[in-house]
Amino acid sequence: MALTSANIQRMSRADLTSRVLGMVDDDTAIIGGIGNAGFDLFSAGDRPGNFYMLGSMGMAVPIGLGLALAQPERTVIVMEGEGSVLMTLGTLATVGREAPPNLTIIVWDNAQWQLTGGQTTATGVATDLSVVAQGCGIANSNAPTNETEFEQAVRYALDAPSPHAIVAHIDAEPASGRPHDDPIVTKYQFMQAMGQQLE
Amino acid sequence: MESRTWRDNVIDALKANNITLIVHVADRVLAPIITKLEADPFFKVVTLSREEEGIGILTGAYMGGQRGALLLQSSGFGNILNALGSLALPYQIPFVILLSPRGYLMEHNVVQLAWGKALPTTIDALDMQVFDLTSPDEVPFKADKGIKHAFVTRRPVVLSISTQLSGGKDGAH
Repeated sequence: MALTSANIQRMSRADLTSRVLGMVDDDTAIIGGIGNAGFDLFSAGDRPGNFYMLGSMGMAVPIGLGLALAQPERTVIVMEGEGSVLMTLGTLATVGREAPPNLTIIVWDNAQWQLTGGQTTATGVATDLSVVAQGCGIANSNAPTNETEFEQAVRYALDAPSPHAIVAHIDAEPASGRPHDDPIVTKYQFMQAMGQQLE
Repeated sequence: MESRTWRDNVIDALKANNITLIVHVADRVLAPIITKLEADPFFKVVTLSREEEGIGILTGAYMGGQRGALLLQSSGFGNILNALGSLALPYQIPFVILLSPRGYLMEHNVVQLAWGKALPTTIDALDMQVFDLTSPDEVPFKADKGIKHAFVTRRPVVLSISTQLSGGKDGAH
């Protein structure tokens, strides 16, 4: 059955973000995409292994891919809104092609560009990003329909070496806080957490 | 001993500066370089869907301790502008952009002219530096020092392969 706005149980991004943070260790890198994805990552639990993107819409998945390639032993999670994923859809094909075993993409899909006034995205009409991800070669791609299934999907992603995509249908509750907006500070804090010497 | 070509010199400079991650959208000037890079286990080569994602990949890799280069045609430079302006430049992410320019001497497609002419102005407006590789004898110095310049200044640096050096789209230089 196709997911429609009528039969989707929409979850809370803040709640799901907190659940992820409760499941990962300190070494896990989490890339927060532009807007509420990054805001809720900060609000749910600021930590050195969080990277916050301040602009460059669509670049969270590529950043996660680059980090996953550079540090194959590290678990890398990207949290990104569906509008941003749609903007850089070709990157899912690059992820499928490279198949990094340590990369998980969590898509927060509320079927709207929430920050700009709630304009409907393609996922609110026709597009299923979990199917798109699977078609791009990300075989472990799913769309949990409740919080229990979401946690099971995250647990599986953390345990099974493979690229994973988890498309979570969320509501439009805005995030409660915002991260520091200095890109240099953000970068150096994150690089230290990634074990890098400051230049 | 087989003589080193300008392409070999560019690859030597990448190696000497520990540039191990290559991301690219190919063109016919870059293709022979990419073939050599793919055959060399020193490099990890990623074929992109679109140039813009290369900026994100190189940013993530750099923060994880790996240096990289983006190989693209000038037309593809138009696809990376926002990622440069709101990610690589403000976050001070250094990497190499090896550029094959269109719209200059030996161009034979009129649609390449507008962006080809606007590109140097655009790069300058972003306060980025371009080092032109024009003659074979200057490639070893300029490629090596240009790459070093990126990491000293913590910015992306453009190495532009002139059509004089490459022979252009149909050249065999």
